[in-house]
Amino acid sequence: MILLLALGAMFALASAVPMLVPRLGRDTGYALALGFLGVGALLLTTAPVGLAGGTVEGTWRWLPTLGVEFALRIDGLAALFCLLVLGVGALIMAYCPRYLGEHEPAGPVYALLTVFAGAMLGLVLAADLVLLYVFWELTTVTSFFLIKTAGAKAGPPASRALLVTAGGGLALLVAVVLTGLAAGTTDLATILASPELVLDSPFAGAIGALLVVAAFTKSAQLPFQFWLPGAMVAMTPVSAYLHAATMVKAGVYLLMRFTPVFAGQPAWAAVLVTGGLLTAVVGAFLALREHDLKAILAQSTVSQLGLLIAAIGVGTSAALAAAALHTVAHALFKATLFMLVGIIDHEAGSRDVRELSGLRRAMPVTAALTGLAALSMAGVPPLLGFVSKESLFEGFVDADFAPGAGPVAATLAVAASALTFAYGTRILWGAFGGELRQTGLYEPPVAFLVPAAVPAVAGLVLGPAVFLLDPIAGRAVADIDPVPELPAYELWHGFSVELLMSAATIALGVALFLARDRVDRAVRRVRVPDGARIFDAGQAAVLRLGALTGRPDRTGPAPMLARPLVGAVLLGAVVLLAGGLTDGLPARLATSGPLDLPVLALLALTVAATVAARGALAAVALVGAVGLVVAVWFLLAGAPDVALTLLLVEVLTAVVAVFVLRGQPARLSPAPRRRAVPAAALALATGAVAALATAALTGRREVSATGDYLLRNAEAQTGGTNVVNTILVDFRGMDTLGEAIVVGAAALGLLTLIGPPSAASPYTRPAGDGPVLGLATRVLAPGMLVLSAYLFLRGHDEPGGGFIAALVAGAALAFVHLAHGPGTRLLRALRAERLVGAGLVLSLLVGLGGSVAGPGFLAPLDVAGLSTALVFDLGIYLLVLGLLQAAVERLGAGEPVARAREATR
Amino acid sequence: MTAAVAVGLLVAGGVYLILQRGLLRVVLGFVLLGHGVNVLVVAAGGMQRRAAPLLDRTDPEVSADPLPQAFVLTAIVITFAITVYLLGLLRADPDRGTGTARR
Repeated sequence: MILLLALGAMFALASAVPMLVPRLGRDTGYALALGFLGVGALLLTTAPVGLAGGTVEGTWRWLPTLGVEFALRIDGLAALFCLLVLGVGALIMAYCPRYLGEHEPAGPVYALLTVFAGAMLGLVLAADLVLLYVFWELTTVTSFFLIKTAGAKAGPPASRALLVTAGGGLALLVAVVLTGLAAGTTDLATILASPELVLDSPFAGAIGALLVVAAFTKSAQLPFQFWLPGAMVAMTPVSAYLHAATMVKAGVYLLMRFTPVFAGQPAWAAVLVTGGLLTAVVGAFLALREHDLKAILAQSTVSQLGLLIAAIGVGTSAALAAAALHTVAHALFKATLFMLVGIIDHEAGSRDVRELSGLRRAMPVTAALTGLAALSMAGVPPLLGFVSKESLFEGFVDADFAPGAGPVAATLAVAASALTFAYGTRILWGAFGGELRQTGLYEPPVAFLVPAAVPAVAGLVLGPAVFLLDPIAGRAVADIDPVPELPAYELWHGFSVELLMSAATIALGVALFLARDRVDRAVRRVRVPDGARIFDAGQAAVLRLGALTGRPDRTGPAPMLARPLVGAVLLGAVVLLAGGLTDGLPARLATSGPLDLPVLALLALTVAATVAARGALAAVALVGAVGLVVAVWFLLAGAPDVALTLLLVEVLTAVVAVFVLRGQPARLSPAPRRRAVPAAALALATGAVAALATAALTGRREVSATGDYLLRNAEAQTGGTNVVNTILVDFRGMDTLGEAIVVGAAALGLLTLIGPPSAASPYTRPAGDGPVLGLATRVLAPGMLVLSAYLFLRGHDEPGGGFIAALVAGAALAFVHLAHGPGTRLLRALRAERLVGAGLVLSLLVGLGGSVAGPGFLAPLDVAGLSTALVFDLGIYLLVLGLLQAAVERLGAGEPVARAREATR
Repeated sequence: MTAAVAVGLLVAGGVYLILQRGLLRVVLGFVLLGHGVNVLVVAAGGMQRRAAPLLDRTDPEVSADPLPQAFVLTAIVITFAITVYLLGLLRADPDRGTGTARR
């Protein structure tokens, strides 16, 4: 329960952001930081169980038919990552208030960051693979939107990040499905406890490969690493949190999680160690070529993640322990460095090492903190980075998946680390060394520095006191290590191979630093393929292929519609010739009622008139007339609810069409003969086929089994006597919910398609009809609203219900709008987006209520004699009303967009 | 029988309209096609029994099949939502509305 509470609290925090921002502005970050710490404290209550080697879990029914559960579990590994997510998260949230500008829109950034943190927490807590996948994708999507908050220039890199990581997500999905097939379950603990379930299946190789692809895309490993430097267009807190400390570690987490299954498999080790170490060296080399501090850090993240993944590939106790420790160390020093670079950018106005110089004189504290973090990254004792890097070296020496792998891996690791030392000093020297050239620079305020200072100092303290991390990192390793052997981290390893490697690293790094000018020239001469450009070229090629495939259908509106219609006609002709449509036709035709023929005649007349209409208004009115005739037909067919709904829909469609037609040419363009004749021929043929097919497929004499069941049981089961309404809200609520979501989507689409009416083009009331229409509205509108309420309440038993009632209320809104314009209090109070939101929330709440307290999602409950189906119907009511309000508000206002634009030209 | 003819008429009118130039006629054709399909679905429930499925006044033995009616009710509201959205598109790009060049 604690786990669900913690996860729920994260998303509750996210939904509280829109309420906090108007009051606290950018300082909302402090409240969120406190919230993160609170959630952390909540999770800490599970620590006693965890330290004793146990796990805390919670399981809720989710997809019973698939055997998938909403299961959360916290063990050592999950706890380690929770610590990162919430700890670094709280620091970043406390950093944001001073980073964000006074007038920057803080709301979206805070909300997205909090949703991301929740998703990340869910990802590491998920005890079911399907759930893990869902949270994995949620982090991808929030990452995309967070990059996009940086504005227009962020579009291409954000898309690249999304496509690469979502592609990896698909690989993960396939891996999850295959694992489910192989193991017969998606429960992680079961799978991890018996690796043979996966390993003995024919999918073992594919599952391993797909997991590696997923992890390599998410954690930016070669050849997918290019998205991460591109993602640096995002604002610094986002880069620090997602693209350094947490989200890119999701791949690391996934590989650690699956270590019990795949550790010891030579292919797994070979791919991870080779891929990881190559990425480590290439990333560090690329970092050395950069001048932008943030770009250096991005390439550095790629490189450090490579080291982590290689260590996981080695798979020995020592290597896994090193990976766990370095995960923490990296999060600490990299988050610090990002935050400090953000501060430098903020204060000095640049991130380019060629422009910055001598900042240590103006900002000594910032310089000292950067020094701590950069030296930790470079692996200088006694900082935490030194301890973790030595542990990594120790791990690499043991690599044994191929003869001679150990020494090669160790050499590559030293090379990557020496380069790391070199670019670490480049950051320090570039920004803080030399002469101070800018004037008017000061130390940033304390509140800005503290969030960066905390992890920097932690890196210093935890070096000598690394044993403090034994419990948490140790438990994490114990969870994934097939041969549990609790590690004991130490600062001083004794005179060992690792110490020699550290010494070599530092010596090489110092040499690279001293020869920095020559190194700089040399590295810039190397030509490196630009991954982003190659990716863009590939994407453009795919889009061109799509355009080529779709070209035949885009030469005009008629051909693309005509071709399937010709196909339908031909199909009908073939079936007709085969005799499929005429069997038993006479018997089926004998189902006419006495009034059917006059209605049919009216229908023919109105349809013909619509087709022939030349005026736009006339065509709209005639289509309305067709609708009314069809409504009468429904009434004759015994469907009063349908008839009533259609009647109201026709009225409202006509009103909306008239709104839209203002400012349009009144006449429809006449169809040229060469278009009209084939169109008419095709229309007649399609109509004939449709008629024949209808005759062939209908004419059933008995009521359907389902219909019969509903007629007999509806009243007993739901208490409602209007069977159609009970189907909508009681029996088939899921259909109705889907339909309501379409309505909501259309409303929101309309709101985005047509912006709010600008003040520049105020609504002009039509002259002449003011008093009459105004008076009529005053009399009629309240009556219509009362009628709407009455129809709503009686819907369960008599014709009526949410749809119909909302349509009546919508008609009243349109009426008020026509008479008084959009300034009326009633119309201003009813905001379309709020109606849609409230409707959706209400319907979903009822649905979830059914899941929690009743037999299933949307199952109606009986509360104090009233069915929750009524509340569900109210949700539908609000959604439909939201659509109508959106139409009235946006389509009914002022001039069309394009016209207003022309007028200002 | 009448259902078949009604569907034929609505489909023929709808097809003719969507093959014309100008978004407005396409939208109106879409509405007619929607009617045609709705009539088809209700007719599929049988046209022999035509009493409204209201249990307090109709014997379940003679009542029309309520299930297609519920489907059609849902379909009508969806069609309406789409129509309103299509009209919004027309509004956002008025030059394509009626197919007539604006003066």
